[in-house]
Amino acid sequence: MTTEHSMTAPRELGKLPFGRAGIWWFLASEIMTFGGLLGAYTLQRISHGGWHAEMQHLNAYIAALNTLFLVTSSLTIVLAHQATERGDRVRARNMLWVTVALGIVFLCNKGVEYSIEFDHGYFPWTSTFWSFYFTMTGLHALHVAGGVVWNTCLAIAASRAIWPKVSHRVEYAGLYWHFVDVVWIFLFPLLYLS
Amino acid sequence: MAQNHHHGANPYVIWVWLVVLLAAGFIAFAFHLSTMAAVLILFSLAIVKAGLVVRHYMHMYDQPVALYAIAGIPVLLMIFMVVSLLPDIAFHSIPPVPAAEAPPH
Repeated sequence: MTTEHSMTAPRELGKLPFGRAGIWWFLASEIMTFGGLLGAYTLQRISHGGWHAEMQHLNAYIAALNTLFLVTSSLTIVLAHQATERGDRVRARNMLWVTVALGIVFLCNKGVEYSIEFDHGYFPWTSTFWSFYFTMTGLHALHVAGGVVWNTCLAIAASRAIWPKVSHRVEYAGLYWHFVDVVWIFLFPLLYLS
Repeated sequence: MAQNHHHGANPYVIWVWLVVLLAAGFIAFAFHLSTMAAVLILFSLAIVKAGLVVRHYMHMYDQPVALYAIAGIPVLLMIFMVVSLLPDIAFHSIPPVPAAEAPPH
């Protein structure tokens, strides 16, 4: 097992490292994006009487399984960050790969879900509900895909000489990944269960 | 995710809680509760789950005040938007504007 103290000292903005401040600014803009969508969906749903008939066509079991995968991937990226702080490069890399795998499984499940819906004739232009559904879950899936790419880059970097210079970015990737998880935590009951 | 993890809760314990709350939400869904009851229960569970992730996995409990402002202001704006638009969009409290009369030829 390779063990090294790989955390570089990031520059700081007041008490905040630049990187952490930057990622939180980015997350704030993401809160506005998803918050606007969630708010608009909620208002339209009340206005349209609940959309209960449309929601019957969604597969809550696949979505619940996806929630489990995403929540578990949040745990694995925390473990990756802890391993990074300890200087345990191998465990950090392995946990990053597990996070990547869980993200890919989430995306595959989402693809299966979409294909079932397309087979039944539900498309973004079918109705207001389906428009909201595909916009919100599609945008979320794009964010998951972005996180998968980011985590893959870090996992590859963990096997290279560049790792000591970039290992602190596991924290930022983790913050982003947790945010994606939190968005899904609200999307799941809003779209599938309530 | 702060620099020091030793003051945070065990991430495995948090994960177990998240799974338990997920299961609780799904059980509530299986009982086919009334819409209001379902919304109350499911959103309470979602808020608790999100709180656990934000507090323990994102380590918001030991961050500088500036970070709370960065993250909190957009949340407040979102809530303000929904609350302020609720009467107009959801409950149609504003009567529709009458169609303009055609100009005389």
